[in-house]
Amino acid sequence: MKKTIDLVVRHLFLTFLVVIWLIPILWLLVTSFSGYKGINTAHFFPQTWSLANYKALFFEPDSVVQYVAWFKNTLVIAIFTCIISTVFVLMVSYAMSCLRFKGRKELMSFGIILNMFPGVLSMIAVYFVMKSLGLTNSHLGMIIVYSAASGLGYLITKGFMDTISVSLREAAWLEGASEATIFLKIIIPLSKPMVVYTVINAFLVPWGDFVLAKLMLNSGISNDWTIAIGLYNMLNKSLINKYFSIFCAGGVIVSIPISILFVLMQKFYVEGVTGGSVKG
Amino acid sequence: MKNFFKSIGNYFKEFATALAKGDIGVKLSLFVMGAGYFARKQIINGLIMIALEAVFIIACVFYAAPNLAKFGTLGTVQFEQIFDPLTMTKTVNDYDNSFLILLNSIIALFIIVAFILVYIGNIKAVYRLQQRKEAGKHINTFVEDMKAMLNEKFHITLLTLPCIGIILMNVIPILVLIAVAFTNYDQQHMPPNALFTWVGWRNFTQLFTTSTTVTFGYSFGKILVWTLEWALLATFTTFIGGILMAQLINSKRTKLPKMWRTLFMVAIAVPQFVTLMLVRNFFADTGIVNTICSNIGLTSFLKSIGLVGSHLTYIPFLTSPGWAKVMIVLINIWVGIPYQMLIATGVLMNIPVDQLESARIDGANKFQIFCKITMPYILFITGPSLITDFVKNINNFNVIYLLTQDVYVTTDQLLANSNAKEVDLLVTWLFRLTNEYYNYKMASVIGIIVFVICAAFTLLTFTQMIKGNREEDFQ
Repeated sequence: MKKTIDLVVRHLFLTFLVVIWLIPILWLLVTSFSGYKGINTAHFFPQTWSLANYKALFFEPDSVVQYVAWFKNTLVIAIFTCIISTVFVLMVSYAMSCLRFKGRKELMSFGIILNMFPGVLSMIAVYFVMKSLGLTNSHLGMIIVYSAASGLGYLITKGFMDTISVSLREAAWLEGASEATIFLKIIIPLSKPMVVYTVINAFLVPWGDFVLAKLMLNSGISNDWTIAIGLYNMLNKSLINKYFSIFCAGGVIVSIPISILFVLMQKFYVEGVTGGSVKG
Repeated sequence: MKNFFKSIGNYFKEFATALAKGDIGVKLSLFVMGAGYFARKQIINGLIMIALEAVFIIACVFYAAPNLAKFGTLGTVQFEQIFDPLTMTKTVNDYDNSFLILLNSIIALFIIVAFILVYIGNIKAVYRLQQRKEAGKHINTFVEDMKAMLNEKFHITLLTLPCIGIILMNVIPILVLIAVAFTNYDQQHMPPNALFTWVGWRNFTQLFTTSTTVTFGYSFGKILVWTLEWALLATFTTFIGGILMAQLINSKRTKLPKMWRTLFMVAIAVPQFVTLMLVRNFFADTGIVNTICSNIGLTSFLKSIGLVGSHLTYIPFLTSPGWAKVMIVLINIWVGIPYQMLIATGVLMNIPVDQLESARIDGANKFQIFCKITMPYILFITGPSLITDFVKNINNFNVIYLLTQDVYVTTDQLLANSNAKEVDLLVTWLFRLTNEYYNYKMASVIGIIVFVICAAFTLLTFTQMIKGNREEDFQ
């Protein structure tokens, strides 16, 4: 009896939380299907339904909406950034966690100090550096900006690698494996949950960032923009009443790749990988 | 500290012995960097070193020298444009761009320091080769040297590229902006049309002054307090919330954990800039929530108990200081908990099961297990990230900026005088100072202050963690 009550309360509470978490998302979704262009402030659900916003997004590009071009730009930048950042983070984490070399602690402290500097501040200088290299308003420039310093974000992955039993590596050493082999064949497969975490994060940074993009892609040509700047621009005071529903449609579409990513990779979070590797 | 100086002393001592005891090949390396390698028949290493030296000399003459010469003044030749009526063209004089001089000088200094380190390292390496030769030991071929890069020197292979990236995109920009804090770089002194120059500590004193014309001191105090309140609230609410939610979902008695997790992840699958802009309109003064609240009578109820000003017909969710601060924290909980839940789930999966088992056998109840085993384990793994989360929240630009930009207007004249708002964090304040008011000098000063604050908060805890050698505790 007590168990049943516990079960019901538990699930009711979860349902309540889910409702809170999903209300704004639901609003986003229903507004994207509304037949009304601006914000509907009187009703939660639109009175007329239509697909016009999606049609406008994909097939009727104008000076404000260039969604297909934005999507392509963002995807290219995000994929390359994701690959480079993940590789950098894993490399640094392994070096800091598993290798012992001169100057390791000094480097770690130095990295921590660097991390404390507000990114927003250095962004402006980054912008000037990129401008003097002629890399503003280019995909290459964006990829460099997003991924170059990503090695600093190694702490969580390192924390995870610290928990991987040292006897695994010692065993591999005795079998004659090189450090590179241990890294690629043992540590990375064992760190799968953290690799997934790193991949998702590395993809989300360029996908969701808008400050840096706004600073770097300043040519004013909407073709060059990423989704973030494009959508941000739509909610300008002068544009919001004409484009709010289209903004919602754009928001729904931009979330789809991330949702797929999450669903595909969710199981890695759930599997406890190191649990069974070495007992004792 | 003592060790630090000792290791620097050793560094130069090794260099001196290498020079004193080195043979002709080592000594020649002082001038031609590859010489020592040629003496040991390591031709490829030698050629690489010579190429490096040549590139460095060229860079010095054509890049470093002209820039560093102007570093003391940051340029003296004002931008001038002469219009020639005959050819209808504008000619621009050979002006100095203060910012480029500053930037290039810092890069040049970096190159010089890096080269000196390589130079000293080279002499030492060559001397080591000599010692090996004299001891009759095997000298590596180029191929063997490369192989070592995957083994005992694997850290060099791993760290080179990330470090170069960090130096270029992080260290150099930070140094540039530290330098800017000591100049008068602002809207009146914008290159290329105008020059700026060094002013010493003037900007720092300005940040702490409150007078009739300068209100930076007043704004700074207010914003600093709110920044710290915010960072503390935001970090702990999401951290604890995330762990509790992960516990709730992962518990054996919860059915369909995967479905629940997926539902919460839907909320973070939508990028922050979309959700925040959306929520901002959701809670706007004339937005949907206000319509619903006034329909069900909540607005008039809040008015009657004094939480909403009597002259208002709406709830000022994001437009009055008190409401906005509470809403920002709540919305941040909404944004942050699913992320923390994911991290906590990953960590919870790896809790040593035997420890939990034995605790249970010893008769510990759930609460005790959670406090004595689960929490310490989570803190051990996510401890460092908790501190970085705190620092990230001090610098949490997105939430504040996207929720309040263009919406929140301050009524405090003193704050407005220094371009600040009640809900600003130090970083959003400095961002708007640069992006809207081109006040780079004050923004840089604020940036340095933010850094000092973050450093003070975290260095203590971090040295504890690194010093204590707890890295291997759970291995």
